[in-house]
Amino acid sequence: MSAVMKDNAPNKTLVSLRNLNKHYGDFAAVDNINLDIQNGEFLTFLGSSGSGKSTTLSMLAGFETPSSGEILVDEQSLVNVPPHKRDIGMVFQRYSLFPHLSVRDNIAFPLAIRKLSASEISKRVDAMLKLVQLEQFAHRRPAQLSGGQQQRVAIARALVYEPRILLMDEPLGALDKKLREDLQDELRQLHRRLGITIVYVTHDQEEAMRLSQRIAIFSHGKIVGLGSGYDLYQNPPNAFVASFLGNSNFFRIKASSNGSGSFEGQPLAIRLTPGLVAGQDALIMVRPEKALALSAEQAAREPLPAGWNEVSAKVSEVLFLGESQTCHVVSAGGTEMTVKALSAAGMPMQPGDTVKVRWAVADACIYTEWAESDLSKAAGAH
Amino acid sequence: MLLTPNAMGRPLRFGLYATTGVIAAFLLLPILFIVLLSFGSSQWLVFPPPGWTLKWYGQFFSNPEWMDAALASLKVAVLTTVCAVALGLPTAFALVRGRFPGREMLYGLFTLPMIVPLVIIAVAVYALFLKLGYTGTLFAFVVSHVIVALPFTIISIINSLKLFDQSIEDAAVICGASRLQAIFKVTFPAIRPGMIAGGLFAFLVSWDEVVLSVMMASPNLQTLPVKMWTTLRQDLTPVIAVASTLLIGLSLLVMLIAAALRRRNPVSA
Repeated sequence: MSAVMKDNAPNKTLVSLRNLNKHYGDFAAVDNINLDIQNGEFLTFLGSSGSGKSTTLSMLAGFETPSSGEILVDEQSLVNVPPHKRDIGMVFQRYSLFPHLSVRDNIAFPLAIRKLSASEISKRVDAMLKLVQLEQFAHRRPAQLSGGQQQRVAIARALVYEPRILLMDEPLGALDKKLREDLQDELRQLHRRLGITIVYVTHDQEEAMRLSQRIAIFSHGKIVGLGSGYDLYQNPPNAFVASFLGNSNFFRIKASSNGSGSFEGQPLAIRLTPGLVAGQDALIMVRPEKALALSAEQAAREPLPAGWNEVSAKVSEVLFLGESQTCHVVSAGGTEMTVKALSAAGMPMQPGDTVKVRWAVADACIYTEWAESDLSKAAGAH
Repeated sequence: MLLTPNAMGRPLRFGLYATTGVIAAFLLLPILFIVLLSFGSSQWLVFPPPGWTLKWYGQFFSNPEWMDAALASLKVAVLTTVCAVALGLPTAFALVRGRFPGREMLYGLFTLPMIVPLVIIAVAVYALFLKLGYTGTLFAFVVSHVIVALPFTIISIINSLKLFDQSIEDAAVICGASRLQAIFKVTFPAIRPGMIAGGLFAFLVSWDEVVLSVMMASPNLQTLPVKMWTTLRQDLTPVIAVASTLLIGLSLLVMLIAAALRRRNPVSA
């Protein structure tokens, strides 16, 4: 795999999408996307179906032609290069192995098309079979393999010609959870070992977190969030990303200065937010696991630490989820909140109890602009 | 299911079996009858045959008129098969993959010969070929047979093409194959059972076609069913039973091949 390893300077842009658009009639499936993909990085397009992530991948592969915009690889335009000349590897959702060929011939196909010598083909296919640990299945037909094995053949077939970029279109979607996690681990190791640039498409945020160095979150044909899973989760750039990734509590507040505000009449401290003026409506977001719910006695025993907020609410439901527990509460003003804690920490309250919900000011993100649809989980698709 | 054989009562089950048996006998007995007659010794097609003989087979194979007809039938059927597949393949691709207005209508048009009464097609084609002076030629036979065989071939190929996951072809393209290479190296092998089944259908349609063939036939060129028809109008000889038996035998063989292929590849046939 030396050819893949070479020229692998980190942080060098390999692929650039510039003002990329794909319109179907009046409908913008991909809406003016700009994105730089670094050489050797594992980047995931995350979004619900219809968010434009797969269309963008298709344009990278060459199966869809952009309505306008540029796709550059090493500063060379790919837009007019047909897919079979792009030298890109791709793993499809349903593996898409050639049913009439053996595992070995499937993997050899790209090399045979390139008219490599028989000995070279045999050498490279052997190396690939070893890489994906399918040596003893070389003579089987795809139909005689399990889903996980088929996917490994598909990966080997996509890597054998040492493409610069590997595209993966929800490749693990059809597999069950356990196998999916195993293959995710394999894939991460493979990426680390080969240093190839991978662009991965999924609607599964846990998968995106587990695999990628950076995630691009797609919604309505646009990239609405780009960054590491950690940053996107801890500091979502907007309310949509906050609500789309993981779970979130939103509080509608009115700012009284750029460091304080009020929620349903109760004063709150908020992060210093440049540009926030007194009287402005704002939204603060607290992750359920960052909030605490304390019973009246606990709250009386433990004074509110400096830099924390507290609001009163009534418990509506307590759920035991094994490793963790969640407590759903409603404030006097009708705002619903969820508090999540590890089961080991205990949650002694009952539905109907009055509790104090607390969170650290530093853990609450502030948004001054949002659309109501951003706050619902189902948003993102057209 | 409410009406599985096990769930229904014994009398009902017996009745069902009996009905099925009667229908099967009704359908199969004429075939059995004609096969037995071809081995019978009576010149007047007496049933049951007073004795058994291969005499009529000898007459069939030694008579150049019958042999010519059989050979013509085989030639026409093979050419029809080749043409139907060659035309049906691109047509099926266009109908499945194409995104153009009127696609559904075109599909209807291509399958129309299955619905239009055969005799109407026969008269129309006859009138055309009469005008062009093509009646009685191999060309006329093949063209007229292709008209009625093509819908079967197209439908068979369409079905296997619809079942074929096009992303497999895309995978070949991204692996470096041009679209045409991908179709030849990946798509055709994958839909081969459908192509073969479509070809066998075309063969069968042509092999026992009589309405069109009677119109196209000339004294120099006639297919086996036409020869049977004309012979039948003059006298009743057991050689006709021999021709029928051979006709049925080959059809049966073709159907067995089709069934065997379907079993080997249950998805795409």
